[in-house]
Amino acid sequence: MRAHAGAPPSRRRFLAMSAGGAMAGAAALSGCALQVSSGVSGSGETVTVMVNSGDILPEQIQQAKKDLGIKIVLVKYDITKLIAMLTSGNPPDLVRGVGAVELPYFAARDVAEELDPYFARSSVLKADDLDPVNDLWRFDGRTQGKGPRYGMAKDFSQDSMYWYNTAAFDKAGVDYPPETDPVTYEEWLATAERLVQRKNSQTVVFGGSFAGLTRATLLATITASAGGSLFSDDFSRVDFTAPEARKALAWYIDYCRTKVGPSLIQPDPNGWDGPTYQAGRLAMSNSGYWMGGMIGADKKLAEVSRLAPAPIFAGGERISACQGGTGLWMPRGAKNKDAAWRVFEWFFGEEPARARASGGWGIPTLKSLRPLMPAKEDYQKRVLKVQENELKHFSVVSFTPYTRADAFDALFNQTAPAAMNGQISVDTLAGRLNAAINEQLKRGKEQVG
Amino acid sequence: MTVHQVTSVTDRPGAAYAGRAQATGRPRISMTARRHRAFYLFTSPWILGFLLLTVTPMAYALWLSFTTFDGISPNWRYVGLGNYRELLSDPVTWDALGRAGLFAVTSVPLSIVAGLALAVLVNRPLTARGLFRTLLYLPAVVPPVGAGIAFKLLFDQNSGAANGVLTFFGIDAVGWLADPYARYVLLMAVLWGAGNVMIISLAGLQDVPRELHEAARIDGASAWRAFRSITVPLLSPVLLFQTVTGMIASVQTIMPLLLAPLGDTSGITTIPQSNYLYMMHVFAQYFALGRYGYASALLWVLFVLILIATGLIFKCASGAVFYNVDPEAKK
Repeated sequence: MRAHAGAPPSRRRFLAMSAGGAMAGAAALSGCALQVSSGVSGSGETVTVMVNSGDILPEQIQQAKKDLGIKIVLVKYDITKLIAMLTSGNPPDLVRGVGAVELPYFAARDVAEELDPYFARSSVLKADDLDPVNDLWRFDGRTQGKGPRYGMAKDFSQDSMYWYNTAAFDKAGVDYPPETDPVTYEEWLATAERLVQRKNSQTVVFGGSFAGLTRATLLATITASAGGSLFSDDFSRVDFTAPEARKALAWYIDYCRTKVGPSLIQPDPNGWDGPTYQAGRLAMSNSGYWMGGMIGADKKLAEVSRLAPAPIFAGGERISACQGGTGLWMPRGAKNKDAAWRVFEWFFGEEPARARASGGWGIPTLKSLRPLMPAKEDYQKRVLKVQENELKHFSVVSFTPYTRADAFDALFNQTAPAAMNGQISVDTLAGRLNAAINEQLKRGKEQVG
Repeated sequence: MTVHQVTSVTDRPGAAYAGRAQATGRPRISMTARRHRAFYLFTSPWILGFLLLTVTPMAYALWLSFTTFDGISPNWRYVGLGNYRELLSDPVTWDALGRAGLFAVTSVPLSIVAGLALAVLVNRPLTARGLFRTLLYLPAVVPPVGAGIAFKLLFDQNSGAANGVLTFFGIDAVGWLADPYARYVLLMAVLWGAGNVMIISLAGLQDVPRELHEAARIDGASAWRAFRSITVPLLSPVLLFQTVTGMIASVQTIMPLLLAPLGDTSGITTIPQSNYLYMMHVFAQYFALGRYGYASALLWVLFVLILIATGLIFKCASGAVFYNVDPEAKK
């Protein structure tokens, strides 16, 4: 029966109309989203940058508007939001990323723009001025560190180095580590055991923290120090039963089992070493040069703090990798690439880069900015000397393009506590890790094609 | 002849509008039709929102659950029921589901008992009763992120107040935030919000007729007997509501993530096994492993399980819940 004009719609018709309205609404909303979050103005001089708060300061944005004539719109970095924006074809113009682990993942999925043509014509960012750490942002389709550039690090550290508190060493009567020669991993752990102070099952002072930036980069780096590679040549598999990888795994599990520092079975509620180290409750912290930014702001702490070279395995190669190399990359679908590149140049080669270099929160990624690193005070000179010597041992430890480090860490952390608590052996753990992580890598490889 | 019979057509409500409609040639709309139209107009924002923000995402998630989509990779494919088959044989999923079930059957009754006890307490004629009610309800309005941080500091093995008390009495400190104790901290964090249950139970308690308690007292019933035979039956609809909503909320809790050493999304990789509940598994599959298809299948299974559990609760409670209003009365 046809409803006559003016009659109320039937329930079925009403629901159908609502569904139609919902779809129209969804389309309208996505249309609005496109207009809102692309940040591209009519003149094309607005650039959307997805970063963490503090990466670009409000006054720097104002300065950029004045100097470049470009309005920078900041979007808070959020991996889920980034993936949604990439999927909808509406990515930001520039995105924060951890070069060491994220670049291979995004580049292999063809969502990152090759920047070689931009670098070639830049008068600000010249190839011979780029620090080797920027190779973390290169990927040739299979291996990180080779091929075209997709981004650049804003600053960096050699993340296996460690800070130590001389007061804690003095109190425990332990000799300071040498300034230029590395200790072995075994010696580091033995020192941490001597430095740890416990009372009533509570750790008053942690002997040392060795967590790396992620478990994935930490284990890949330690395995490289042992003379091996965590990943197979095509990066499609891990093998924790290989002698070098097993050695690295066994050392890390030993570190956790002895409870000399924070780990999954003894978590630090602060989530990172900074506050614990500052409070004098951590004798050694596996954080690279970047933590000097925090230490330098506290005169008393700076006086008792020293930076030491990355440990090695006895007889192993001296490797001091960067596990982060956080910087920016440009999505292939960016709407305003030329303006984005201008912001890129400004961020990495002009005022913000100079401000970062002199702040002590990382080593500048342009060689020409190195003279700006803090070197006024005695403790700054001492740290700089150790750091400059360590730079000779920098190398890129390639990461797989087939998974994100978060996935590796999630699978590792599901499996490893049993070994940390002594319920399973390192060999059993190695087998379980191979099974879980290789399954994830297999899925990733299928998706990349 | 009644007054109603002598009133003219133009005196009736809406007649002026109908007259104008006739004058302008528009079809006349009956009162019933206008009432229906008003109903649909008032409900349509909700229905649109429901379709747009619930049905559409659920349908999208259902579609994703049949694929290997990971968010950005180009070579995802349709796998039919593959994700559902994998889920059935995935021991990590079953373990997480088991933990979530155990957490629900523990935390929901405890929350209800604690909230009801508090409600009974602050329903009594106490001095500064309003202040007590406010203080007991306050934790429920603390944002979960803040509560997570507070609990982490409180239960830190080395500097937390909880171990401070233990060591004061000569008891060894406990690693509260790691396995196997982390589950107890989670339970305490959930009980911390029992003020929500208290406030609803309090409203229910104030609806219990006082004369029933007076009659029971005259008949010689003890306070416990009166509570058991009068208060609890009259509160049973409220308790049923709290059981159902509490069960749904407990299986969806994100508190384990907030109690993890890293309290943001990357904290998903640092959750102790005992707090790795089903929703944490879903979260990890989505945002750490990038398995959107598999995670969507997990969510759909959870949705069906919640429906079944809710149905079972209603069925089991059908003979035990006492409705003070006769549901047939208005028919």
